[in-house]
Amino acid sequence: MRHPLTARQLGLIRCHTCGKLAFDIGHDDYEEHCPRCHAHMHMRASNSLSRTWAMLITAAVLYVPANVLPIMTVTYFGAGEPDTIMSGIILLLQLGSYPIAAVIFIASILVPLLKMVALLILLLSVHLKWSLDDRQRTRLYRAVEMVGRWSMLDMFVIALLVALVNFGSLAQIVSGPGATAFGSVVVLTMLAATTFDARLIWDKEDTDG
Amino acid sequence: MSPQDNIQSLTSIPENWIACKDCDLLIERMDATPGDRALCPRCANPLYQPRENSIERTLVLAITGLLLFLPANLLPVMYLHIVGQESTTTIYKGSLVLFQEGLYWTALLVFFASIAVPLCKLLLVAFVSGCLYLQRSSTLLPYAFRYYHYLDEWGMLEVYMLGVLVAVVKLKGMASVVPGIGLYCFIALLLVATTMSSLLDEDSFWRKIEQGLKDRPR
Repeated sequence: MRHPLTARQLGLIRCHTCGKLAFDIGHDDYEEHCPRCHAHMHMRASNSLSRTWAMLITAAVLYVPANVLPIMTVTYFGAGEPDTIMSGIILLLQLGSYPIAAVIFIASILVPLLKMVALLILLLSVHLKWSLDDRQRTRLYRAVEMVGRWSMLDMFVIALLVALVNFGSLAQIVSGPGATAFGSVVVLTMLAATTFDARLIWDKEDTDG
Repeated sequence: MSPQDNIQSLTSIPENWIACKDCDLLIERMDATPGDRALCPRCANPLYQPRENSIERTLVLAITGLLLFLPANLLPVMYLHIVGQESTTTIYKGSLVLFQEGLYWTALLVFFASIAVPLCKLLLVAFVSGCLYLQRSSTLLPYAFRYYHYLDEWGMLEVYMLGVLVAVVKLKGMASVVPGIGLYCFIALLLVATTMSSLLDEDSFWRKIEQGLKDRPR
């Protein structure tokens, strides 16, 4: 079998937005536009690794307040205390709603954490040229890209609850600062996944081979 | 003519060449019929997936979605009863209350993911597939479809739906919850929007947009 040939090896750029192939005219970034959709064209997403690092580190820092600060306070007949993401899950377990508790645990705690670990592995593997299976790494990247949005679940739950439960001293749900931190974590990890250019995973093999 | 035969003599890019989004492999496009799905031979990334009557179907679904949009967002999603008192909520009221409570960033995020982005996606698809259906070409088409592509992953109706279910379960112990007419409209909107996205053949849309602009009388 002949060695696989990439667009870059023939001096072609694939538009990251619409998929059109064009000749690389050798300009700096932001000077070449896609002939079809007019988006900026880059051989590889510019500063992909540094941008992904920046967003990943910010997300990791914000993950702490997201889990420590209360996301909402439920007051019922005058009694109630602030809930963090984890205490909300424990409360659901005590009420016996195991499936819902599991859904929130996966969406709010596990997915953001695994996403950050996966991005860390991808970044390190490109930097340190780890010889991991490229196909598996691409699959990992695609999984990260796909599941990220589901972490927004808790934000929507909060939005619904604060609007719905508003009976003054009888029963009231108020949002907390943890929600802001958590929302930022979700957005930052989604952006980090978008800025990471999966083609970097394959570039090593293509230049060595 | 396959990419491997052309290393020396490349003066123009053959129409049937494509490159994989995730691994940059050059591939020759093959004839595919609706129902087929072309995967990258190296990294297994989906390359293109032809859809039957993609333009007509997405146009119809986008218009249906736009009709459902106002009722889904303005009619009550749920009624809540606590000792004789009643309260309701709508989709937009959630972000409004968060905004009033001072969580501006969170409110904006919820507003974008559940209202603004889904609406923009419907409008953009209605415009693009409408133009393609009527065989009208416009220099705005590439921009409109580009923004659809950028917005795609930020519309989160299906996540919102799961959020509604979780909220109902959380409130179960506290009060009685009754679904409102808005919820049914929202579920319909969700189904329409999801079907629209999956029936949209991005690859053929781009090629038709390009062809339309090329054929335009100057």
